[in-house]
Amino acid sequence: MLKKINLQDAVGTQLAHDITEIRPGEFKGAAFRKGHTVCNEDICHLQKLGKNHLYVIDLAEDEIHENEAAAILAGALAGEGVAWENNPREGKIGLTAAIDGLLQVNTAALAAFNMVDEVMCATLHTHTLVQKGKLVGATRAIPLVMKRAPIERAAAIARQNGGVLSVRALRKAMAGIVVTGSEVYHGLIEDRFAPILKEKVTALGSEVAGVTFAPDDADLIRQAIESHLENGCDLLLLSGGMSVDPDDVTRLAIRQAGATEMHYGASALPGAMFLVAWIGDVPLLGVPACGLYHRTTVLDLVLPRILAGERIGMKELAFFGHGGLCQDCPECVFPNCAFGKGS
Amino acid sequence: MKPFNELLETSAAAHGHLCPGQVVGVRMAMLGCRLIGLDEPTRREQIKKLIVYVEMDRCTADAVAHVTGAKLGRRSLKFMDYGIMAATFVNLETGKAFRVVSTEEARDLAVVYAPEASGKSQQQLTAYCRMPDSVLFRVQQVRVPIKPVDLPGPTRRKVTCNLCGQVIRDGREVIRDGGYVCRPCGENPYFSDAREITWTDMNWRPGEVPELDAPYDHGHHFEKPRKRGAEVIALR
Repeated sequence: MLKKINLQDAVGTQLAHDITEIRPGEFKGAAFRKGHTVCNEDICHLQKLGKNHLYVIDLAEDEIHENEAAAILAGALAGEGVAWENNPREGKIGLTAAIDGLLQVNTAALAAFNMVDEVMCATLHTHTLVQKGKLVGATRAIPLVMKRAPIERAAAIARQNGGVLSVRALRKAMAGIVVTGSEVYHGLIEDRFAPILKEKVTALGSEVAGVTFAPDDADLIRQAIESHLENGCDLLLLSGGMSVDPDDVTRLAIRQAGATEMHYGASALPGAMFLVAWIGDVPLLGVPACGLYHRTTVLDLVLPRILAGERIGMKELAFFGHGGLCQDCPECVFPNCAFGKGS
Repeated sequence: MKPFNELLETSAAAHGHLCPGQVVGVRMAMLGCRLIGLDEPTRREQIKKLIVYVEMDRCTADAVAHVTGAKLGRRSLKFMDYGIMAATFVNLETGKAFRVVSTEEARDLAVVYAPEASGKSQQQLTAYCRMPDSVLFRVQQVRVPIKPVDLPGPTRRKVTCNLCGQVIRDGREVIRDGGYVCRPCGENPYFSDAREITWTDMNWRPGEVPELDAPYDHGHHFEKPRKRGAEVIALR
């Protein structure tokens, strides 16, 4: 329960909560921390902050203070790879990445959590690449003092499937690249695909074991795939031959190589003719020609998720649709934009 | 207790269709029974320990009754006409009682728990199967004082209505002018214009073919709703 007292009578009492000071454009933070014992010198400062009364807290058995609540909530929200410190500032606790990796947000559980009146949690988008120490979310209880039951219910909701936020480390893949196209194979034009793909793979901490060139011949492309698999590659990237021309045989070759699952077409632009196939647990990513031109394509959305252990299939490719339209900005700021953030 | 999917299937068959309310009801009953410590409520040794109060007469109520085995005629199922998607589960042996309330926010959250499902009903149905209990329900521990006349078992009290002579069981009489009367005589009942009738084959008994194939109108005047199109409106 909260009891209101006049500021003049507050000397000697302990503050029930952090008191925020905002100096526009200059400072926002706690001018006084919870538990601070009010002394004569503080009165003037508190008056300047617009305080003429203060709260004294007398917690009932079934009540809880916002700081204790925030700690319960943070503990429940934080899954694997997410860290937090029990040092609430103005009632808030930040959740940070404990490792480099891909942020996973259980968006359904987050929505359900936020439907509980007394609590809130805001996060970065799910599937955002983050580095250790990055603030990925923050939580707080809304009232200063509240009943314990809704906090515990919100915590239970947050704990479903191991927490709302987690950061998964990307595995180090050994990638094989197959560049298809007779024009490249026969040296009519110079390949520019392999360096682009290599850069994307190595930027995520994986390695490229080798690049194979193949003409528009399903049998030879199949042999190139099989050869990479025999060499121990656990990720294959194939460029070219993904379109609608009669010479585009990459899909046929992937099927002939024994793909058990094949999903052609992603709901993202650039990248509509993207392909994800699986031979056992090895993913094969077919990158259409847009990968040559655009800095950012659906490959940049799929590859980190694959390396984080996600099995990308038809549903995931379809769900890119909302937010899957690249604005093709003159200066690309991906990943700090909406591309691919809607799913 | 049987697995959720099996209970949902048999409940939907008993109710007549599969709908979101069936999912909520089956889960509500499973949770309620778990909370009061009954794992097999329909088994003979547990059936008499349970009383369930349902607060709505919707699909969910049928599912709760199906899973718990609570029945109106056994007095183990009580209907409280509150219009609230909730049910209270009472363990008569321990006195423990929990009121399980279906959350309204679960309806809004269906879209995030089953984004791939199309159509509101299908989306709710799928989502309600996926949500944890913490999202689907709020639970209150409650005290439910039950009068002996409300308990299962033989009729504990019978009185006769001073006005119509009807026998009233289990203390449902009301007092008017110092005497017992039945509720139809003492209050505004749900029916009106009661008049006793006779009917053509009133001596029918099982094994005979009934003669009556259409209800008789014994003088009550029912006004048929007229179609709007048939109205003639005079223009002046």
